[in-house]
Amino acid sequence: MEIPIGLKQVIAFTKRDFHSWITYKTAALTHLINIFVGVFSWGVRAAYVQKPVSEMYGSDYISFLVVGVAVSNLIMPLATGLRRQLNPWTLETILMTAVSTPVFVIGNVMWSYIFSIITFIPYLTIGIYVFGVQLNANIPCTILAFLISAAILMGLTMIATGFRIVTKSEDPITWAINVLENLFAGIAFPVVYLDVIFFPGISTFSWFLPQTWVFHLCRLSMLTNPSLLDPTTQTQFLQGAIFAFILFPVGYRIFQWGVKRSKREGTLGWY
Amino acid sequence: MTADYAIETIDLVKRYPTSRRSETGGAFFHHGPRSVQSLGGILSAIKGTEGPFIEALRGVNLKIKRGEFFGVLGPNGAGKTTLIKILCTLVLYDAGEVYVNGFNLEKEPEKVLKVLQAVLPESRGFSWRLTGRQNLEFYALLYGLKEKEAKKRIEYLLKFTQLEDRADDGYQRYSTGMQRKLLLCRTLLRDTPILLFDEPTVGLDPASAAEFRRMLNERLVKEEGKTILASTHNLYEAQEMCDRIAIIDRGKITACDTPDNIRYKMFEEKIINIAFQDARFDNEKDKMLDSLQEMSGFYGVTPEIDPDGSFRGISIRVDKNINLSSILEVVIRSGLRIWKINTVEPTLEDAFIAITGQRPGEPPGVRGFRRWRFR
Repeated sequence: MEIPIGLKQVIAFTKRDFHSWITYKTAALTHLINIFVGVFSWGVRAAYVQKPVSEMYGSDYISFLVVGVAVSNLIMPLATGLRRQLNPWTLETILMTAVSTPVFVIGNVMWSYIFSIITFIPYLTIGIYVFGVQLNANIPCTILAFLISAAILMGLTMIATGFRIVTKSEDPITWAINVLENLFAGIAFPVVYLDVIFFPGISTFSWFLPQTWVFHLCRLSMLTNPSLLDPTTQTQFLQGAIFAFILFPVGYRIFQWGVKRSKREGTLGWY
Repeated sequence: MTADYAIETIDLVKRYPTSRRSETGGAFFHHGPRSVQSLGGILSAIKGTEGPFIEALRGVNLKIKRGEFFGVLGPNGAGKTTLIKILCTLVLYDAGEVYVNGFNLEKEPEKVLKVLQAVLPESRGFSWRLTGRQNLEFYALLYGLKEKEAKKRIEYLLKFTQLEDRADDGYQRYSTGMQRKLLLCRTLLRDTPILLFDEPTVGLDPASAAEFRRMLNERLVKEEGKTILASTHNLYEAQEMCDRIAIIDRGKITACDTPDNIRYKMFEEKIINIAFQDARFDNEKDKMLDSLQEMSGFYGVTPEIDPDGSFRGISIRVDKNINLSSILEVVIRSGLRIWKINTVEPTLEDAFIAITGQRPGEPPGVRGFRRWRFR
């Protein structure tokens, strides 16, 4: 029986896309890893959703999760705002206005951040009134946690952007950051669960990830009502701040390196 | 170095690593951020390359006077865009010196950007959802204009470019010509004395292009005294607008002068067409042709004779400096009555082809020996 022309055409499209896809070997591999990370993350949530998270925050899981989602939506635009604005049409033009690098970076994420702050409130309101989230926040700590988180994420974003300007591709730094964040940063489950799932002691690795500190400091501030005068709290904030102090200037330098390198190679307008 | 010139380049050299070019096919637009590249590719991009390099500019020396409309002509890949991008600080050069209004480009890029702005065809940088006016207000803030000053300047520029009626329309509704005008508005926001244009009228229809050229030449250069450097491979545009032009070929300036001088200096010959009235070809006329050929500076003659013996005219090839009256004297002595004379001048395109071996806009590599043609 003759295959209908419509079906042949669909097959032609499919074959073309398959052949194109297999040429991106690294992309195919990273896609598979992303699938694993996604399944893992959701699996852990499902497995532990009924269990308390008192080990770390003395709170219930839903409060832990809603605060995590709200924080995630509050700070993630810092990572995506610059990336969204970064294209050759705007980059070259903006650079010709001679704006400084800090203004360029902060300017490009500011609206996203303001919008996030506005949407942060409905997140918490719905969490509190619909899902019974119990907040136990300390305002000065929360503000400080947000500032440290912003510095950490801006640093990471500038590192990723600097590399992306040079490599002209989805850079490995951003991808690795996303994967590690989903696996080990404790967005959807307390990092102590990692010791139960994998092997004891693995959660120690999480504390070397800057994103872990972003979520941890925010949850600590919003769920446990800590005092900034408490030495334990001070130590926790100091540890997070160390990441911010390192990542922000490093990110700034890498971003500048990326722009300069791209200017030297004449590839600033390529993207 | 001298502050007498708006732009001065001294032995300017720019090399590009060839490997990075071949990765992207040398295209200016890559197809958007893709998924993760191969690790090897990323590492080599980060590491950079030691070579091989292609030399986009090979010792370019230019002196552009204040208030001058200066054109840079060249085939595709000759180095025109590289030169413009260097001047507006978007590409770093490897050797040589560049001064803009006396400021050293390498040491004082911020000062350079305060006296120079550029219009690049691929760098629009406008938000599609904002109106033309809102887009301009955004850039006015970036340029540091005060609110009142910005408002006044924007109004003036919208009027200047005849965009005032459409200023509050979304940018996405603008035609190509209007987009180009808005680009000009943005470039003029800062009111810098020097303006750079990379292919100023590319993509515009003939009427819009003519209007745009008039705006640049009559308003900006002649009335406001601005210096304009424009790259183009539209030779008509160059001849019409530019006070001086430089022809750049494979990264080297091969000619730099007024369009007329470039045309004349390139060629030693010209063609003169002489038409006769009520003439017949006979022995006397044949002798006249022989006499012409014996003259110094006379290279050839083609008579135009109808089958019925009517002598319509002659086309003669002579030295460009030949005395025309001596030719006419010989012609008139033979009893011919001259009806019309015209001299065929070499065009800028003829000169361009003679210098580069290519037609304007032709990609590199399509190079071959072409003889100069008279039109």
